[in-house]
Amino acid sequence: MNQSIREKILAVSFHGTARLDPRLKLLLLIILGCVSFFINGDIPVLLLMLSVTLFVMAGSDPGWGIKMLITYLVISYLNTCLRYLTIPVLSLMISIFGVTVLKMIPIITLGRWVIKSTYMDELTVSFERAGMPLTVIIPFVVMFRYIPTLAIEYRMIRNTMRIRGVSDTVLKVLTHPFATVEYILIPLLMRCLKVSDELAASGTTRGMERENKRHALLKIKFGAKEYVILACTLCLVIALFVADRSEIGQYILWRQG
Amino acid sequence: MIRFADFSFCYEGMNEDTLKNINMEIKDGEFLLLTGRSGCGKSTLLRSLNGLIPHFYPGETKGDLLYGEKSLLKMLPSEIAGKVGTVFQDPRSQFFMTDTTRELAFGCENMGYEREEIISRVEKAVTDLELEQYLNRSIFALSSGEKQQIAIGSVYALAPKVYIFDEPSANLDHEATKRLAGIMKKLKSAGYTIIVADHRFYYLRDLIDSVIYIENGSIVARYTGKEFCELDKTLRIHKGLRTVYPEKEIDNKQDDKLAVKSRLGGHKLKVENLSFEYEKKQRILDNISFEASPGDVIGVIGHNGAGKTTLISVLTGILKEKGGKVYYGGKKLSPANRRRLSYLVMQDADYQLFTTSVEEELTLGISDVDSDLVSGTLDKLALSEYKDKHPAALSGGQKQRVTIGASLIKNSEVLYFDEPTSGLDYDSMIRVSELIKELSGGGAIIFLVSHDFEFITHTCTRMFDLDAEKMLDVNKGNLQMLAKKYFA
Repeated sequence: MNQSIREKILAVSFHGTARLDPRLKLLLLIILGCVSFFINGDIPVLLLMLSVTLFVMAGSDPGWGIKMLITYLVISYLNTCLRYLTIPVLSLMISIFGVTVLKMIPIITLGRWVIKSTYMDELTVSFERAGMPLTVIIPFVVMFRYIPTLAIEYRMIRNTMRIRGVSDTVLKVLTHPFATVEYILIPLLMRCLKVSDELAASGTTRGMERENKRHALLKIKFGAKEYVILACTLCLVIALFVADRSEIGQYILWRQG
Repeated sequence: MIRFADFSFCYEGMNEDTLKNINMEIKDGEFLLLTGRSGCGKSTLLRSLNGLIPHFYPGETKGDLLYGEKSLLKMLPSEIAGKVGTVFQDPRSQFFMTDTTRELAFGCENMGYEREEIISRVEKAVTDLELEQYLNRSIFALSSGEKQQIAIGSVYALAPKVYIFDEPSANLDHEATKRLAGIMKKLKSAGYTIIVADHRFYYLRDLIDSVIYIENGSIVARYTGKEFCELDKTLRIHKGLRTVYPEKEIDNKQDDKLAVKSRLGGHKLKVENLSFEYEKKQRILDNISFEASPGDVIGVIGHNGAGKTTLISVLTGILKEKGGKVYYGGKKLSPANRRRLSYLVMQDADYQLFTTSVEEELTLGISDVDSDLVSGTLDKLALSEYKDKHPAALSGGQKQRVTIGASLIKNSEVLYFDEPTSGLDYDSMIRVSELIKELSGGGAIIFLVSHDFEFITHTCTRMFDLDAEKMLDVNKGNLQMLAKKYFA
């Protein structure tokens, strides 16, 4: 009986790449995020997206990886179609918007995966080991904890707006976009203030501010595996940059017809 | 032992002391209830015990507060962490981790214990408090009651000697309240000191050793548990206290003539074979049918997960039904029609306040504003002096009245209240009850989701039981049946 409780406490819900050290995950997010903005060729960018997808799929969340890859392909194609439309100014604007979205997709793919596949305590402990002060770690953890609740809070607010008849139809949202944003933001910010205050009080009474060395429930280590993956990533980055500057980078993958 | 020695506290920026010359002793193993009207200083007293005062909420202290021989005022909250454990009011906002197991370990990890120590402490908490079924779940998938049990477990793993509960029953249904009482009983018999501040305390009646009644920051009365439970009714109401025996309120229930009379005229709300299921094919509502008339105040009851909130969401038109029909005055209503007809007062008023002043809030979403109606409504709700204030600056009860006020201006014919009395003291509860009766007297149909037996007894004329799927009149027999479920 007791053995099984112990086993349950130590059970791991994430597998594969999701069990890598949180520091590595965040490092990859930063590196690949920058790369996404510095390479432009169709093929190198697609390769980057493919690598991110494979990496995410190897870590507990294959569905998410595939979904984002498909989104990427669809937006790429639609964006290409725009080149054949010539509405002055507008098509340029939409095209720029499309390119920005495309650059964000690998970052979103990886970012959401990091949030969903990382245990909070491991994040805290690994930051601490990396020498970050508590004053930086605590806001970071609170932010991570708050992101998943945003969707819930947003839905609650939208529901009451519909009951109150405030921005409840598509027409009203389109004709009063700023008012709509304001009506969503005010209660959201009020809730944020209240929740963060209560969270901080609750954390304080459970010793959150103690400056001692912490241990996570499961062992974590920035070990050989992490270094190997980091090295592979750096090779990939170099390869992508080289490809981007060579003829491969000039090849136009997305065309109509 | 904890001793308050002429202790006073004044929050920074306030003119008056919130706590005034508190003298009391709390013995080891004592079960103490703190009570008094909203804003009397109960929470402030609790905050000074766990170190949030004066370190987290700054201000000026006078006198001393001793834990054994040491002054709590000189200890940092992080030093008090392993000694005094606090369970806060809102279970939703006291989680740092996203999964239950790590939340249980959170305190221990902060204390810097070794891995083995953390595991064995969490294991003890899980075993002693019977939390095994909740391990390894997402925090966001738990009900309020489950969240609170995890919060207690997380404190328990730190093994403090003193437990503080700040309005622990405010967000719980009666089943979760019963479980909470069970856990408290366990803690008490294990010899821990327990201090609870709450407006509803019927669930503690077999546990309380002593009671402190606070008014305006001073202790004005002390009772033993027995004296408190036997308090005279007029005195209790005079002090603004809820009842210790809600089931005894049944005897005072008079048949509501008004509602029965007004049931004759006006548009009826008719629900026919209403069904709803979420995507995963779990049927939540299955062929619900009933009829409601103007003047009805209908309490929606049923066990946890019976679909009370879902029913309200479908009826208000937030969710679209999967089957069945809703008629009002003989006309079939689409979800959009229902949204126009209804008004929902949520448990958490913060979600419902969108603007920067009370007056603006009342008229939001209304195209032709009748200014007389607005000022009249402000008067009626005792909000006139706050009309230019920011809604966020109001107290909980006032915020709730603002949202009710908006429904008056919208002139909604069907109103829904979701747990309107959570965290309210006796006076505010009665005020909401009176307001609802007034609305129903004016011909509105009102639905209440509530676990508050005292409030249901005071307010409702009918009950819709989702377990039996039938409408019941609120009479002594039916109330006794409900009381059996709640308090047995």
